[in-house]
Amino acid sequence: MAFTKINSKMIEARVVPGQRLFSQRGAMLAYTGEVRFTPNITGGQGGVMSMIGRRVANEDTPLMTVEGQGTVMFGHGGHHVQVIDLTGDTLYVEADRLLAFEGSLQQSTMFMGSQGGVMGMVRGQVTGQGLFTTKLDGHGAVAVMAHGGVFELPITPNQPVHVDPQAYVAHRGQVQNKLSTALGWRDMIGRGSGEAFQLELSGHGTVYVQASEEKL
Amino acid sequence: MAQFRLQGSKTLAVDMTGDLVKAKNGSMVAYTGQMNFKKLSGGGDGIRGMVTRRLTGEQMTVMEVKGQGTCYFADQATEINLVRLNGETLYVESDNLLCTEGTLKTGTSFTGLNGVSSGNGLFTTKVEGHGWAAVTSKGPAIILRVSQGMPLRVDPGAYVAHTGNLNRSIKSGAGWSTFIGEGGGEAVQVEFTGEGLVYVQPSEKLTVGGDV
Repeated sequence: MAFTKINSKMIEARVVPGQRLFSQRGAMLAYTGEVRFTPNITGGQGGVMSMIGRRVANEDTPLMTVEGQGTVMFGHGGHHVQVIDLTGDTLYVEADRLLAFEGSLQQSTMFMGSQGGVMGMVRGQVTGQGLFTTKLDGHGAVAVMAHGGVFELPITPNQPVHVDPQAYVAHRGQVQNKLSTALGWRDMIGRGSGEAFQLELSGHGTVYVQASEEKL
Repeated sequence: MAQFRLQGSKTLAVDMTGDLVKAKNGSMVAYTGQMNFKKLSGGGDGIRGMVTRRLTGEQMTVMEVKGQGTCYFADQATEINLVRLNGETLYVESDNLLCTEGTLKTGTSFTGLNGVSSGNGLFTTKVEGHGWAAVTSKGPAIILRVSQGMPLRVDPGAYVAHTGNLNRSIKSGAGWSTFIGEGGGEAVQVEFTGEGLVYVQPSEKLTVGGDV
């Protein structure tokens, strides 16, 4: 495992030769050893085409490549950091919540509309998440940022989980996600409960929820 | 019976079996099972309560949550304190009240003139009955006991809530140095006397008295 938690807001990453790390640009706090930080113009893996993809998709958070030998400390904006280990499964997360991830993971951009069709696109707009999200798969560790602590909720086929879009952080596994609305006449006359839109996640996996309604 | 428990220190999990709880509007972060959310106008105290709350400035936007399953609540990553009430009364600022069990009654209470200078306003929210209430605080709150002959003074900005039979009055530590701008920043304090518990947070919200 490449990432170790120092406290709830900082992680320490081990860098060894031949293995790359990607991290959000400027998120390095301190390092020991011989470590190089190179800004990653393409914003991640996959060359120029992927870069264009990310630019278009507005998922192009500036990343840097971390290489060399030593240990690096990461943290950003006083946000809580959650380390998620992927073992061959897929994690979906917003690009601006990504703090660091191992180079062994495959990074790609996913079009929300491909899941749930038109409703998927509406979902992205309503929740402020945009039409695209970042997908990471393979084996390795990811560090994700959240406001307040993060807790995991398991999703099982007979127990879907509903999440406030603003409190949603990331999810993994075989999960269908759709926007469920509980809009009623009360919301139309401004008497809504503030919970008109929810993300309904069903299938098999885990969803990460933060203890706050604040977006990063 | 709704079951209140903490998921970490910043998230409240409520297990419900068809009963209802009242929570701050929009504070749900996730749920499993079936839930219904309905806004209650005027803090859920009826027409009279609504008018009172409008007049007193202790407005609360509250929603009624009813259903089967587990509902998770959180508010801006603040810490959550569970308070079990067995017939006693909890006084809390409406901003700090996250969730109450349906069996509890909420209302407003007059705190007297001392509220003005403390920035907490003239009125505070009163919760009474039998059941659980969840109070938020910025940073983990400490609970201080007040007993006869042992009064407690609290910075108005750090005061969160109190239970028990307590009298509160405003104390001023302002001297001549305060008026020439050399105050220690602690010119106004709230003094609690009687028997009870006071919840204090390790953070000070902005109050009128806080500057001097």
